[in-house]
Amino acid sequence: MSTQYQKIAPRRETQFEREPARRVFAAELREIREQFRDGTDEKSPSYVLLPTGERCNRVFLVGTLTEKKRQGEQNMFYRARVVDPTGTFFVMAGSYQPEAMQQMARIEPPAFVAVVGKPTLYETPDGNFLVSVRAESVTVVDREIRDCWVLDAAKATLDRLDAMGSSPDSVNAAGRYKTDAAAYRKMVYGALAQLKF
Amino acid sequence: MDISQIVERISQKIESKGHPADKQKIEQKVRRLIDEFGLQPADAERTVLFDTARDYGVQLAGSSGPGEKKAINEIGPEDWVTIEGKIVALTGSPSPSIAYTGIIADNSGAIRFVVWAKASAPSLKAGTWYRFESAVVDEFKGALNLKIHSGTTVTELEEDEVLIPVITPLAELAPGVASVRAKVVQEWDATHDRMLQSGLLGDESGTVKFVTWKEEGKEKLVPGGVYNVYYALVDEFNGRYSLNLNTATIVPEEGDIEVTSGSATIQGVLVHVAPGSGIIKRCPQEGCNRVLSRQNYCPVHEMQTGFKYDLRIKGWLDNGQVTHEILLQKDAVEKLTGMTLAESQELAENNPLGMDEVFLRMRERILGRYLRCEGKEIDRRVLVNTCERTGFDPVLLADLLNRTGGETA
Repeated sequence: MSTQYQKIAPRRETQFEREPARRVFAAELREIREQFRDGTDEKSPSYVLLPTGERCNRVFLVGTLTEKKRQGEQNMFYRARVVDPTGTFFVMAGSYQPEAMQQMARIEPPAFVAVVGKPTLYETPDGNFLVSVRAESVTVVDREIRDCWVLDAAKATLDRLDAMGSSPDSVNAAGRYKTDAAAYRKMVYGALAQLKF
Repeated sequence: MDISQIVERISQKIESKGHPADKQKIEQKVRRLIDEFGLQPADAERTVLFDTARDYGVQLAGSSGPGEKKAINEIGPEDWVTIEGKIVALTGSPSPSIAYTGIIADNSGAIRFVVWAKASAPSLKAGTWYRFESAVVDEFKGALNLKIHSGTTVTELEEDEVLIPVITPLAELAPGVASVRAKVVQEWDATHDRMLQSGLLGDESGTVKFVTWKEEGKEKLVPGGVYNVYYALVDEFNGRYSLNLNTATIVPEEGDIEVTSGSATIQGVLVHVAPGSGIIKRCPQEGCNRVLSRQNYCPVHEMQTGFKYDLRIKGWLDNGQVTHEILLQKDAVEKLTGMTLAESQELAENNPLGMDEVFLRMRERILGRYLRCEGKEIDRRVLVNTCERTGFDPVLLADLLNRTGGETA
């Protein structure tokens, strides 16, 4: 699962640059099968490769929190399902994300939530893959913000599809996932079609 | 490198002293230094000139030969020059090997100078005209600097010409010395206890950071005031310029300047609200304004009994491609969160969680929201002037639906 990818842009060593939060629909995030580190350092950022061709260290998503579960005794954490127009995100908040865990504790489903977090790819013992988002923060928002996010995610997905083949990451993604651009456009259409003018 | 020109110049200088110049011999010497010893032409010229002069017993440095005097703005790096100018700033010596540093100006411009202690120059007075003969010009970080060494002759001049400083638009600043006419558009928290004031100056062309270090007789500029700043030092750091006002003569001016906004508008989601946001306590000491810790400890003035409440938000605005650090001050915070300073103070003082309660409530109201911020951008940091929520845009929805190619795509 760890392949070395070329850097898109040279990192400026002198200045910290925060990883941007990508806007990704649940139906795309679910398809991720590639996770890698940029560099060999223990602190090098870890990325997943999006099927539409961008590396992604952080995501921003808005959806409906439909279910939350408290798990574990010593290492208590929350597992939650957040639904967008295309599918379900699995969101986790554990003791390493105290902010998100406390926020999650106070939210009663169902509720619209905005989540900032890091996507991680897991392989289950039976050979299945699971992509979950380790939340950094979870905030209750309203419907308008959810609708804004659907537009935002739709635009970002279409932008990525349009840029397929123009960056090393997108070339890798096309090879790895055999990305069907038409299917993703249809997914985006389906998500947008649920919004009202 | 035209050797014949070099030879010509040397010959002329020797001949002007009334000695015959042997051009062939001079050329030979110059060529030998350049070709065999790899000297730069300028160095070769200097060496041969002084060599030849010594052969004839001619004193070059200290001579009152004509033609060498230059206007300050015509000086280039590595020149040997003679200038006449007025010392407009004189600062103490930072090191025992330096007698003075300062700024000398004529009607064309101004330049920093250093007088080496070994130069045994006469004592200099600010506000007096001098002639510096055979000073050397060097360059550091793009700024020219005049070195007064033991070969330089310093003569006090009688004249007292009125000096009209050349005003430089802020957008055209270059390292060195500059005079500007500008308005104080921002005053920032001092970041160092030796700092008297720092902030932003603006004019019609741009803005620049300024700093005044604490020193006898230095006064703060009034925010919003317009000033003529004569002979400030322009420093460069990480590609950005800043004005050091300690050397400058500052004259307040009537009127106003329409400062260029130089602003950036950014949009995105507020993905993080950093600790230190919400209601904060500031140090009450004059001109300090630093944020106090929970125990009312100021990093400079230590424990404080009093404090001033303030509101601010520090966070990250993310558009999915790049992330900007944003900094909101009180007015913008009140407008965005709908919580006033008075309400926040009330909450902080009467709630068991204190100031944390204000932080948490504000965060719940703004985190994960789509915002448009307008302000001054420095690197990836935006000092926000105005900030508003952005709402659902049906036009964008229509555009995006078209881009997908429709249902049958």
